Amino acid sequence: MIEWSTAAPAIGSAFLASVVEIVEAFTIILAVATLRGWRPAVLGTAAALALLAAIVLALGPLLDRVPLHALQLVIGVLLLLFGIGWLRKSALRMAGVIPLHDEEAIFAAETAHLGEEARRRETSLDWIAGITAFKAVLLEGLEVVFIIIAVGAGRGLLWPASLGALAACALVLSVGAVVHRPLSRVPENTLKFGVGVMLSAFGVFWTGEGLGVEWPGADLALFLFAALFLATGLLAASLARTSVREAAQ
Amino acid sequence: MTILRDVLAELFGMFVGDARLTAAVIVVVGVVAAMIDLGDVPPLIGGGVLLVGCLVVLIGAVLRAAHRQRAVAASQTT
Repeated sequence: MIEWSTAAPAIGSAFLASVVEIVEAFTIILAVATLRGWRPAVLGTAAALALLAAIVLALGPLLDRVPLHALQLVIGVLLLLFGIGWLRKSALRMAGVIPLHDEEAIFAAETAHLGEEARRRETSLDWIAGITAFKAVLLEGLEVVFIIIAVGAGRGLLWPASLGALAACALVLSVGAVVHRPLSRVPENTLKFGVGVMLSAFGVFWTGEGLGVEWPGADLALFLFAALFLATGLLAASLARTSVREAAQ
Repeated sequence: MTILRDVLAELFGMFVGDARLTAAVIVVVGVVAAMIDLGDVPPLIGGGVLLVGCLVVLIGAVLRAAHRQRAVAASQTT
């Protein structure tokens, strides 16, 4: 029986993280499709998705054999590193310390890069285009795979988390295919901030459980942790914005 | 080979994008583990230290990057 107090944040994290990563991958897929048509773009994307699915299917059963406390500790620490890293970066973007992700600029740069590659090499351009799409989906998808495994493995939620990621994939690719331009209006940084908050909360929760902590309120403690990371992230962004403004004056 | 190298670089960047942040998180977890396992501190107190430690690490990492940016901006104006 699924505990929804744990499943909802797990599925939500997988869904939102997937939206962020797939929007980034879609920009490159679209650049490939614009230059060489949808065939190499779809083939490269499908091959990468198949490889990512194979990684999840291979790692899932293996993780069941690891003792629960050790698994929680390792995954918890990795989640802390990954989650706080995302939170740091999105707080800095929110504060204007580093620039926001610009999908239009990335699309233009990737299109120019592909054109340059085609001129430089003698290999079939369809092959280069397919490999480019494959690499984009594989690299962005690795983060999604980690999140699915990290939030799903500790409580047998691999399938629900995978479904959350697949739903995001279907949503972004459908919208992207209809709109047929980079999805620059998706509030990527806000989503990334939200995912960073949830992953950091999961990180503290799993690491604590791995060290033998029994959190008061059990899974509900996740919501308190998330609220604290949200408040701290916003405070950090605000302090950083003030610091940068003072420097500019 | 390029793809494999890019995959390894991506995996490394996922967890060690900021080396100081990575080191700080590992130190916090190590201190909490030592408190609980060696210091006989109640696990829940250790959990509280873990939570607060991670929040402090987050603020420290953001402010450090902002101060670095501020120093770069100051050096460009002089």
